[in-house]
Amino acid sequence: MRAPDTTVKATAPVIAFDKITLAFGAKTIISDLSLEIGRGEIVCVIGPSGCGKTTALRVAGGLIPPTKGTVRLLGEPMAGPRRDVAIVFQDYAKALLPWRTAAGNISLALEAAGVAQSERGDRIRDLLAKVGLAGHEDKYPTEMSGGMQQRIQIARCLAQDPAVLLMDEPFGALDAMTRQGLQDEMLAIVAETGATVFFVTHDLEEAVYLGDRVIGLLPHPGRIGIDQRIDLPRPRNQLETRETPEFLRLRRTLFDFIEKAEH
Amino acid sequence: MRLSRLGRLLASFAVAALLVWGWQLIADYKLVSPVFLPGPDRAWGALVKGFSTGDLGVKLLATVERMFWGWLIASLIGIALGAAIGTSPRLRAYLAPMLEFLRPLPASAMIPVAIAVLGLSNGMVLAVIAFGALWPVLLATIHGFSAVEPRLYEVGRALGLSRASVIWKIALPSASPDILAGMRLGLTVALILSVVCEMIAGRDGLGNWILLAARSFRAPDLYAGVILLGMLGYITAVALAVLEARLLVWRNRAR
Ligand SMILES: Nc1ncnc2c1ncn2[C@@H]1O[C@H](COP(=O)(O)OP(=O)(O)OP(=O)(O)O)[C@@H](O)[C@H]1O
Ligand SMILES: [Mg+2]
Repeated sequence: MRAPDTTVKATAPVIAFDKITLAFGAKTIISDLSLEIGRGEIVCVIGPSGCGKTTALRVAGGLIPPTKGTVRLLGEPMAGPRRDVAIVFQDYAKALLPWRTAAGNISLALEAAGVAQSERGDRIRDLLAKVGLAGHEDKYPTEMSGGMQQRIQIARCLAQDPAVLLMDEPFGALDAMTRQGLQDEMLAIVAETGATVFFVTHDLEEAVYLGDRVIGLLPHPGRIGIDQRIDLPRPRNQLETRETPEFLRLRRTLFDFIEKAEH
Repeated sequence: MRLSRLGRLLASFAVAALLVWGWQLIADYKLVSPVFLPGPDRAWGALVKGFSTGDLGVKLLATVERMFWGWLIASLIGIALGAAIGTSPRLRAYLAPMLEFLRPLPASAMIPVAIAVLGLSNGMVLAVIAFGALWPVLLATIHGFSAVEPRLYEVGRALGLSRASVIWKIALPSASPDILAGMRLGLTVALILSVVCEMIAGRDGLGNWILLAARSFRAPDLYAGVILLGMLGYITAVALAVLEARLLVWRNRAR
């Protein structure tokens, strides 16, 4: 279980960016970025479009090596993608295998991890139940709504038993109601598994609602402009939390930051 | 839904029946000399006789076998080669111009070359059929493999799938609609080339049967052979369509 007091962050950081610079050719996308994320922390990353949020997430996932600096995962330098780091992509429709059912898509992660076939069925049922899709194992992605497809992708990531969840605007393409539902489901799952979360979003309210911390990136080149603690009590509630003066104050702070960053 | 499918089936049968009836009329009124155009009744009679007393069944089997093996070889080579080329942008850049040059060459133009190299052997015939049927499979496979959603490769990396698993579980299924479409085309080409090779190289089979019937003015036998070829083409196409529908269930399940 997540400790209710999130200010206690013992031991080494789970993810550590150490003076990361990333360039595509002559263009520097991220410059000298250092960041430490503690165990079980939910860190939301905001910033104007094109400032390098996705790129930072891909570096954290080992999908692209940094040009300079090192990323450490639980103290070890990152050499490439790892099974205990799961990535939830925004474009769920492209990230699922259309020829596999819901169960088959989740199974892919278990197959990759070498889970015996006899154990997969039970694991898949548990994971589907966890994301609220019990009984939908035989549906193909094209037969499911966007929210359901994203849940499948999250279930597939959970099948990796990840210590770290990297999420790139996972709810950005969903309608407001579905998004709020998934936000709460995600918080519950993270509280249960104790995973550390790196969550990129465009939605400032989402960042405040979900995060223990919100990092704001400045563009050209991408660097940290603000590192805001969010001390709203947990468990959070879609109605009450969003109406507290503290929530509104934090939202205002981030709003002002984005406005400055864009000019 | 069901009814309209049944309706379409009935309609297509009606059209076919109408055509046969028209053919019968033309033959009955001798609008075309019966030496060149026997009626469907006589063609059917020749077909039945060919199977019961003649060796039409043997010829049919020879053609089917030839077509099948040539097509199978073409498919296996086409898929393997296409997968290698389709997954490597480097290979694609090197080979694409050459493939574009070779593709429009009619495979029947290769027959003299093949005869010169391999002689009038069964191996020559198989080589020509496989060569011709290779192109549709190869090009479709290359396209299928190069059009795999890049995001899926990233998913494979993130999940830690082995290279073999990525090919087997991501690239191949993703390319399968293209591959199957190529194999369907390849089968048609294989049938055509089987017949052409039998005619040119004098190998035993339906093509040779038709040619000999034409030369000795046995028009009913000739038409019996043509009807059989048509049926063979139709049945193989239907069989492949059924296979395709079973393999690609996910495509037909879209909302
Ligand atoms: N493979 C690449 N090659 C060259 N430039 C790239 C590549 N990927 C991203 N970029 C550039 O890097 C910059 C940052 O991109 P990134 O996708 O990280 O931004 P982002 O903050 O996620 O934006 P958004 O909010 O729109 O998703 C952009 O200017 C983009 O054009
Ligand atoms: Mg992005």
